[in-house]
Amino acid sequence: MQTSIKWLEEYVEIKETPEELAEMLTRAGVAVDSIEYLGKDIEGIITGKILSVDKHENAEKLSVCKVDINTEILTIVTAATNVRKDNIVPVATVGGKLADGTKMKKAVLRGVESFGMFCSTTELGLDAKLVSAQDREGIYILPDDTPIGADIREVLGLDDVVLEFDLTPNRADCFSVLGIAREIAALTKRPLKKPSLDVKEESSENVADLTKITIADSSICHRYATRIFRNVKVKPSPAWLKKRLLAAGMRPINNIVDITNFVMLETGQPLHAFDYDLLENHEIIVRKADKDEKLTTLDDAKRTLNPDMIVIADKTNAVGLAGVMGGLHTEVTEKTTTVLLESASFNNANIRRTSRELGLRSEASSRFERGVDIRNITNVLDRTANLLEATDSSITCRGIVDNYPNPIAPTEINFTKDKINKILGTNIDQETMVSFLKSLEFEISINGQDMSATVPSWRSDVKQVADISEEIARLYGYDNIPTSTPVFPVSETAEKSTSSIVNQIKEICQGIGFYETISFSFVNNRTLDKLNLTSDSNLRKTIDILNPITDDFPSLRTTLLGSLLETASSNSAKNNYDLKIYEIGAIYKSEELPITKFPVEPLMFGGLLSGRRHKQVFSQSNDNVDFYDAKGSLEVILDSLKIKDYIITVPDFETSNQSPEDKDYINLLQTTLHPGKSAIIKIGDELIGYLGEVHPVVMNAFDIKRKTYVFEIFLDKLTKYTTTAVYQELPKFPAITRDLAVILSEEIPASAIREAILKSSGNLLESLELFDFYKGEQIPKGSKSLAFSLTFRDKNKTLTDAEIDPIYEKIVTNLKEKFNAALRS
Amino acid sequence: MNKLKEELNLFRNEGLTELNNASSEKELNDLKVKYLGKKSNLTTFLRSLGSLSPEERPLVGKLVNEVRADFENIIAEKSSTLKEKELSGKLSSEKIDVTLPGRRNDIGHKHPLTLTLERVKNSFINMGFSVAEGPEIESDFHNFEALNLPKDHPARDMQDSFYITKEFLLRTHTSPVQVRTMQQAKPNSPIRIIAPGRVYRRDYDATHSPVFNQVEGLVIDEDINFSDLKAILEFFLKDIFGNSVKVRFRPSFFPFTEPSAEVDISCVMCNGKGCRVCSYTSWLEILGSGMVHPNVLKMSNYDPEKVSGFAFGLGIERITMLLYKINDLRLFYENDVRFLEQF
Repeated sequence: MQTSIKWLEEYVEIKETPEELAEMLTRAGVAVDSIEYLGKDIEGIITGKILSVDKHENAEKLSVCKVDINTEILTIVTAATNVRKDNIVPVATVGGKLADGTKMKKAVLRGVESFGMFCSTTELGLDAKLVSAQDREGIYILPDDTPIGADIREVLGLDDVVLEFDLTPNRADCFSVLGIAREIAALTKRPLKKPSLDVKEESSENVADLTKITIADSSICHRYATRIFRNVKVKPSPAWLKKRLLAAGMRPINNIVDITNFVMLETGQPLHAFDYDLLENHEIIVRKADKDEKLTTLDDAKRTLNPDMIVIADKTNAVGLAGVMGGLHTEVTEKTTTVLLESASFNNANIRRTSRELGLRSEASSRFERGVDIRNITNVLDRTANLLEATDSSITCRGIVDNYPNPIAPTEINFTKDKINKILGTNIDQETMVSFLKSLEFEISINGQDMSATVPSWRSDVKQVADISEEIARLYGYDNIPTSTPVFPVSETAEKSTSSIVNQIKEICQGIGFYETISFSFVNNRTLDKLNLTSDSNLRKTIDILNPITDDFPSLRTTLLGSLLETASSNSAKNNYDLKIYEIGAIYKSEELPITKFPVEPLMFGGLLSGRRHKQVFSQSNDNVDFYDAKGSLEVILDSLKIKDYIITVPDFETSNQSPEDKDYINLLQTTLHPGKSAIIKIGDELIGYLGEVHPVVMNAFDIKRKTYVFEIFLDKLTKYTTTAVYQELPKFPAITRDLAVILSEEIPASAIREAILKSSGNLLESLELFDFYKGEQIPKGSKSLAFSLTFRDKNKTLTDAEIDPIYEKIVTNLKEKFNAALRS
Repeated sequence: MNKLKEELNLFRNEGLTELNNASSEKELNDLKVKYLGKKSNLTTFLRSLGSLSPEERPLVGKLVNEVRADFENIIAEKSSTLKEKELSGKLSSEKIDVTLPGRRNDIGHKHPLTLTLERVKNSFINMGFSVAEGPEIESDFHNFEALNLPKDHPARDMQDSFYITKEFLLRTHTSPVQVRTMQQAKPNSPIRIIAPGRVYRRDYDATHSPVFNQVEGLVIDEDINFSDLKAILEFFLKDIFGNSVKVRFRPSFFPFTEPSAEVDISCVMCNGKGCRVCSYTSWLEILGSGMVHPNVLKMSNYDPEKVSGFAFGLGIERITMLLYKINDLRLFYENDVRFLEQF
């Protein structure tokens, strides 16, 4: 919605600068988006009448013109071909300025002095879409009744300022110049001058004898009223009318179309003019469209309609798409002599859907969608008649045919001063409240403390006391409402448990060098394919979006792996190879598709490591990360969360009693990850995550060059295993440390040896750390060496070697018997 | 005896000179043995005391002891200077280039959106708010209907949605958490929550992301009024943007609040002078708010005659862009590590 200040001034006095006016309206809830000073770029352009056009003696393509600009007669040399004697044109005089910034200077063209130039609409800076095709060609030829010697800004209404509004959907009433003027009147306490509704009705015919209006379904059309105009003279609009339309961003067409547009802009009520003689049987029927009914609209597009759409029809055919666009067949043309004018109210939702469906948004549809002032519909017909008469465009037939099946009664709202002040936290007196509401044309009746407000017909958004409180607050000024601090009782819980584990993980990750990433929650099949998931994997059973925005985001993700690997891939493409990243976010899963109940949204913690272990600096090794970096990071995180008894191990692929979900992840360890370098994380029997090296096939698919390791943890499952630290008494007695190095088959996992040592060492073993791993020439092929450091301690006394020796021996014997492990010396 | 005295004096001078010239701790130690040890001349002198007369004996003994004391003094003195010299020599030989880079652990980074969310959460938690959560796949009822947005309500235009089925969609705002919180609570019991989370709109260009983050707030109690809303939000905005920020409340429209207020802050980029970010208005829209609409209360079994409340919603991306002067929304979801490591 845009309107010029000069137009507003026809209804209310404005003393404020455009900026002050914009600020005032914005603070009252009618937000001004921008202020545009029209014609600010042009200067010294004056209307002139061409007295003569003569050929230039020395140049074939130039003409020498004498131009009367009222104060003097100028000689102007032009290359234009569309100027004739007696044309009135815009003349840029010496010292003047064109829209593109060009300064006019005296020029000598092939020996003839030229004192200015004629201007095209482009040189005047007119918006091309507001100019007719004819006027866009060559020099802009102004109407013959244009005054001579006038500043072109005045002539074209460019001496005006246009306000562009960003209206909220509730304020349908402000979708009109009069509506904005009413707001200004209320805010400045100045009177509102309403437009004239006087109609002469000089025709002797009665509208009721000329037409019949039928509303087939009152749920789609709430009111339909019409006036008929005879002796129609279709001609260009007068200058004042053109100026108003141009400033509102509409192109003038002819007097009939322009007046209906003017009245729509002025009142907010869209109108439509039909050529009465082209309506079969001269009647109007408002009905739903038939299935696949065809209609060619004013824009010459053949539309196929559906029964949800409302049409205006004559006896046999649809002649207009109600509230959206008229039909081409019954359009008002130069041949039209009688006009039937429609002023109506249609079902907002139908109009909205229709304009959506057909991709047709018009000035009319955007007003009907918000709702029009149904009680003002006949007044609008009168206003139009008044203007048609004033411009000598037609004569008005007598009366109005008004089909209004269920008249709507005005809304009444009862309230008290105290109730309003309680909502606002203010102390506004009754008199002030009444004056605010009256200035907005609410009718108020007072009975002691009780007040009743009758809502004006154009304010259908005001329905209850809360709405009244906003009207009062708006005029009182939101800034004038005091601030008060509410008293809150002590809160019971401040944080959710998952959000606390999330916070902790983010802290730890920051400490150990991981970067947090945040990705869209979407995934597509290309990414799922790249992940090399088996065809039966449930991770492929995505929840899909009915109306995706692009092919890239058709579904919701079922794993963070896709997000992480895409992030690694895009970073790798920018030569960011060294990555330690993680994301904490939801995945979306449903056992049944399409969903019929709320699906689950488990919170996941996923991470990825790739490239060098450390930033490349002189004091750090230049090694790349490997499996144990990923594992170590996870261990640090799990330990910091005080999670006990987790196991990182190879899954048992053979077991058949895995849950389907676990099976998906165990399969993933084979296809998405390197089968020999991946593991699951378990607590008891519960799978809480997995980790591993990304499978070469997957690396290739994502175009990642450096070895990459990923992990994913189910945070929802993990939360219950977190514990709080409990203080353990510090030891009073010294410990005894023994090292144990064994050589054994490389097939035996280190965890098995660890388990065996723990089992056979009794309760004096305080800690057991693996400190060396060796495979190579110094030991037999097919075997490896593991070295552990064992710390023994007795809480109650100093241990002696004599006490430890037998335990140590037992461990060694046990390892020998069980794993054929030999002591390495 | 004079001869003895003379010898002793000679010995003393010789010793003092030699000790004084010692250039290392080791040399000094060797000289110490030479002059004070059991085999030293001093011992010989003492032994020769026996050959002197009883009158001479104490005199010479005294002299010998004086020489010993002189030696001991000079040794102590010399030892201390030599130690100092050696230490300073050792220290200067150990000199390193302190301008080489430090040996550091690589530090990680939280996403800037997380940093902002943490600040926002802390601000409200300090004011006694709890944190509530809700699903991202929402029902049409929770996302629209219960928030006074019936089907065909024109305000549904403002948030074009991603639908999963006819009944389920990706939530377009965090406001459904309001509904869930009220419906889980005992009717009319006080509520004071914020609800952060991901929301979705069908909009994707340089200034719109289909996924973004909002924080919803809801306060309900007896006698909660617009003036309380102003106080809480003003406090919050000053907490985030600093005390000098100006806050402007202006009427607006949200279907779920009435009266509604758009809250603007003075432009933090240009300090109100006018710039591209604030479209030369000197104000920045920062959050939407209002008194909970009576229909919303009723839909969730709260009685608007007994309790009232206010609600607000803000965008984490927008605040983050202002706090860190980030000029491109898309950076947040591209996850370029060169961007992430700046925070």
